[in-house]
Amino acid sequence: MIGEFGRGARTAIAPTSGGTPDGLIADCRASVELVWTLVRTDFKARYHGSMNGFLWALLKPAMMFAVLMTVFSFLFQDPRYKLNLIVGLCLWEFFADATKTGVVALDAKAFLIKKVRAPLWVLVLSSMANALLTLAVFSTAIVAFLCISGQAPSAINLLCFGAYIVALVVMVSAFALAASVLFLRVRDLNQVWDVVVQAGFFLAPVIYPLGIVPERFHFYFYLWPPTPIVEFSRAALLTGITPTSTAHAYLALEVVACLAIGVLVFRRFAPRAAEYV
Amino acid sequence: MSRALLEVRGVSKAFSLPSVRRNTVREHVFAGFRPRAHQRHVVLDDVSFDVKPGEAVGLMGSNGCGKSTLLKIVSGIFVPDSGHVVRRAGITPILELGVGWNGELDAVDNVHLIGSLMGLSLPELRNSLDEILAFAELEAFANLKVKHYSSGMAARLAYAVAFQAVREVLILDEIFAVGDAGFRRRCEERYQQLRADGHTIILVSHDPRAVRTFCDRALLLEHGRITMDAPSHQVSEAYLTRLHARPPVDAAPLAHVG
Repeated sequence: MIGEFGRGARTAIAPTSGGTPDGLIADCRASVELVWTLVRTDFKARYHGSMNGFLWALLKPAMMFAVLMTVFSFLFQDPRYKLNLIVGLCLWEFFADATKTGVVALDAKAFLIKKVRAPLWVLVLSSMANALLTLAVFSTAIVAFLCISGQAPSAINLLCFGAYIVALVVMVSAFALAASVLFLRVRDLNQVWDVVVQAGFFLAPVIYPLGIVPERFHFYFYLWPPTPIVEFSRAALLTGITPTSTAHAYLALEVVACLAIGVLVFRRFAPRAAEYV
Repeated sequence: MSRALLEVRGVSKAFSLPSVRRNTVREHVFAGFRPRAHQRHVVLDDVSFDVKPGEAVGLMGSNGCGKSTLLKIVSGIFVPDSGHVVRRAGITPILELGVGWNGELDAVDNVHLIGSLMGLSLPELRNSLDEILAFAELEAFANLKVKHYSSGMAARLAYAVAFQAVREVLILDEIFAVGDAGFRRRCEERYQQLRADGHTIILVSHDPRAVRTFCDRALLLEHGRITMDAPSHQVSEAYLTRLHARPPVDAAPLAHVG
């Protein structure tokens, strides 16, 4: 019963499970329920109470794909251009959408942060749910299309594609953690990031093949996190060539570096976040 | 003697206010990233006290004395510059006339959101939803977006959640200043019931009568220091005396941070 004395010894924020299995299960359940509630209410507020509103979220990248495909198919005569474009766009859309939401994730939850002790990292990560769902829908559609049209990628390549998505999600999460706490102190970070994303769209080989860039510049292009994800995913899914282990090692290094910086910045600024909202 | 549920030890907090406001990248760039002078405003200075299980402690002090900052530190929303707080129980804080609402969501979703942050499970929330809405007299407006609520309705909803979702320790900021006479009476009844159930309460109020009636003990906070820790009737009298002895226009440089 709610309001019963003693039930409150457990808190959602600083779980006092005491290490017992039952306590840990209860804490996990509380966290899952919190994430579910955050995601559900986010969707509801964003799409005005209608879950069908999610169709709008899918329409935006679909429309962009249609426009770019019409325009650039004339420029690049490669028959595989369309597939390359849609793989690139689907990954890019996630990157752009999730990072833009991530920057303002804590500010958007200011009404909670000021009033209760909230697990900030859960608030930041759950803000990416919308982008994550769009990514899941589009990547499933792409893989399904490849299978139906007789171009099914091998199991190992499919596994690699899954790993690249995980790598992308980790890098974006790290960015969101750091940027969301910094945004509370630097209030035009979202504008700065919008500009970076706009330029970054052309830095990443989304609408053009990386092959048209002189090879001596490739290293610098690969430093921009979406580039290796997009290029490796295309190689695995469309050309059937699994990137080398050296390439994978570089990607892993990039992921670890992003994660380390993101977590360090977040740990440094998160404790005082409530003072700045 | 039972162990304290809350131990506040040597807590100090100062806010560093820059001489020039620079909140954006643009401002930093145009100012050439020149360092700014900072002014320190000490809000809390070496505050220590204990709260034992089942106690009702009043917290009194004039505007800007640091009450809100102290409550936020006790609730774990702010971190102190020095000192520490030991919490041996869950805390439900109801600060600044209400918990946080998202105006784009209706009462039901807002209750789910704040309830799960306060550690309630979804079945518990579903079970108590009717009670919460009934307590706030908002059954008819359950599916109305909170942005269309009046401030009184929003505050009533906050207290209804707090009174249903209460953990061991309840922190109430100006509770008996909300709603009409009927709502206040229900708050008072529920308050007495919570006390009888053994809940621990920290009550912030400017109203000496409320502190005398609802608390056993009270703290007087003046300029960031606890100047009195005594039975509630003594503290409320001292508060009144000091209020009347004060010059009418108080230089209140801390008003915006307190």
